Amino acid sequence: MTDLAEFEKVEVSPELEQKAERDKARRGLLTALPSYVYLVFFFAIPLVVVFIFSFASRSRTGRPVLEDWNLDSWIGLIDPLFASIAWRSLWLAVVNTVLCLLIGYPFAYWIATRRRPTTRNILLILVLIPFWSNFLVRTYAWRTLLDVDGLVTRLGEATGLWGQLLFTAPAVFIGLLYGYLPFMVLPLYAAIERIEWSLIEAARDLYASGSDAFRKVTLPLSRPGIVAGSILVFIPSLGAYVTPDILGGARTTLLGNYIVTQFGAARNWPFGAAMSSAILIVMLVATIYYFRSGAKTL
Amino acid sequence: MSVAAVSLSNVTKRFGEEVTAVDAIDLEIADGEFFSLLGPSGCGKTTTLRMIAGLEFPTEGSIQIFGEEMGIRPPNKRPVNTVFQSYALFPHMTVFRNVAFGLTMTGVEGSERDRRVHEAIDLVQLSGMANRSPKQLSGGQQQRVALARALVNRPKVLLLDEPLGALDLKLRQAMQLELKDIQQEVGITFVYVTHDQQEALTMSDRIGVMSHGRLLQVGSAEEIYESPVSRFVADFIGETNFIEGEILTGGEVRLANGAVVRARTRSGPGSHVTLTLRPEKLNINAPGTTFPDDRCVLQGTVQRRIYYGDALYYEVDIGTVIVDVMVENRPGIIRYAAGDQVVLDFHPEAAEALTE
Repeated sequence: MTDLAEFEKVEVSPELEQKAERDKARRGLLTALPSYVYLVFFFAIPLVVVFIFSFASRSRTGRPVLEDWNLDSWIGLIDPLFASIAWRSLWLAVVNTVLCLLIGYPFAYWIATRRRPTTRNILLILVLIPFWSNFLVRTYAWRTLLDVDGLVTRLGEATGLWGQLLFTAPAVFIGLLYGYLPFMVLPLYAAIERIEWSLIEAARDLYASGSDAFRKVTLPLSRPGIVAGSILVFIPSLGAYVTPDILGGARTTLLGNYIVTQFGAARNWPFGAAMSSAILIVMLVATIYYFRSGAKTL
Repeated sequence: MSVAAVSLSNVTKRFGEEVTAVDAIDLEIADGEFFSLLGPSGCGKTTTLRMIAGLEFPTEGSIQIFGEEMGIRPPNKRPVNTVFQSYALFPHMTVFRNVAFGLTMTGVEGSERDRRVHEAIDLVQLSGMANRSPKQLSGGQQQRVALARALVNRPKVLLLDEPLGALDLKLRQAMQLELKDIQQEVGITFVYVTHDQQEALTMSDRIGVMSHGRLLQVGSAEEIYESPVSRFVADFIGETNFIEGEILTGGEVRLANGAVVRARTRSGPGSHVTLTLRPEKLNINAPGTTFPDDRCVLQGTVQRRIYYGDALYYEVDIGTVIVDVMVENRPGIIRYAAGDQVVLDFHPEAAEALTE
């Protein structure tokens, strides 16, 4: 009894609780601080700089001049050439996202439904292994595979199904799919693995066939993974320029290499900055809308 | 005799080489019966239920539902529905859509479906909650949705896997009575899995006690409580005392402390037995009390008295073991203290001599 009496003496006052809450919040801020600082300096500020440059003008030699602020670069975006490039990039990104989803979903589902955790972990590591080497190196490796005498080319010729794929559209898609598939598989895996198996059993018990249970339960519940994976694949695909350059032979202009050109050969920084900013804004709005619609159904 | 609602014959389930979850079970559950499978966790009761549901398939043996062989028929083709332990409500659907799920899948549409869904929601007293999401409901309410979702399909057999396990005691007791009422109202066979012996005793028409994959005893609550077939059953259901002894030629039992008593038994003379004797079947008396001839008597010393509120428990040392005695806390009862010499008496019908 004495113990209990001692315990009751320490009364928890509202002030004490509030103080504890504040301390906790402060500790949270402290741990997040390095990331905040890093993101502000190397991400937010450069973006603001890009945005400012989009209103700058150029000297006669093409050097960006931070005076005579104007909207010329932004008005320049209303241009059939830019529209066709944007359209092509959009199409490429959409097709790649759909391909990643179609191939990534069954794969993620298969990993997530392995019974033993060790098996699941090994399979996940296999998904991640490509990241251990440089993206550029891996893309060049594909170039070798798809080139004349490359393994893929020989295989195609032997079966008579395809010839040399390098510098064709399929080569670009193979490269993009290869590069971005892990970004689709990982969030999908996380979402599917979280689904309680008893929900699928409940659906089956309530007269749903296997495919009904998938459509009515598994698919809607893995939606957060589909949304996250699609965004993670779509955004870099839209700006992709390494893969189209190396595997597509830089024959077609896409948003990525068009912007690079503005900062390089064309020496039109303000226009490049305007393009980058415009894409950023559109993507931001689209992403917020997509996330909201995804969250609503849950 | 009419055909059994559920009939298991020689049903065995092995997981891999090593684990036998269910070991050659034979069981018939009658139409309209409230049947409980009772046992500690890991005894195979849930696996048995899942095999009836079609969520697992037996390694050996046959399962029939109303005479129809189930074989490896998938769950959606069986005339049964399940109330899952964790309720397994679809989090992305409202209460209405959860309850309507089974009907939608079987093609019941429109006003017929709506009527039946609302009927089921009313039955479990959740009227007005149809448009809520499961997340907005309390545990007890979620449990009712799970029940409505299963009952709305009018299954021939309803399977319940520890449906009250996650609820607190008061709510659990209220739901026990409600479940029993609902079962009588809809008149379908309930197969109920639980590890809570009190729950099984109060709700069931019959109980099957399981341990290590085997079905040890099947009977009414009273049969199981009053005449357990084995030490495990006696121990698992309620509280009991075990006293070692040996059967004499006259049918009496000589206990290890030398006392000779009478008890019910199915074993012959010479067998080594364990007497099971429930605390409430024993009376505690002062030394020198005289008893009628049909009472059995044990001498002992009080070790401890424990106050339970509604009852007093005495721990009495009878020489070889400590025996628990329960005395109802009525006005005027004599209270014995530690160290007191006492005499315990019981009716021979109250003791069961077991060999297992």
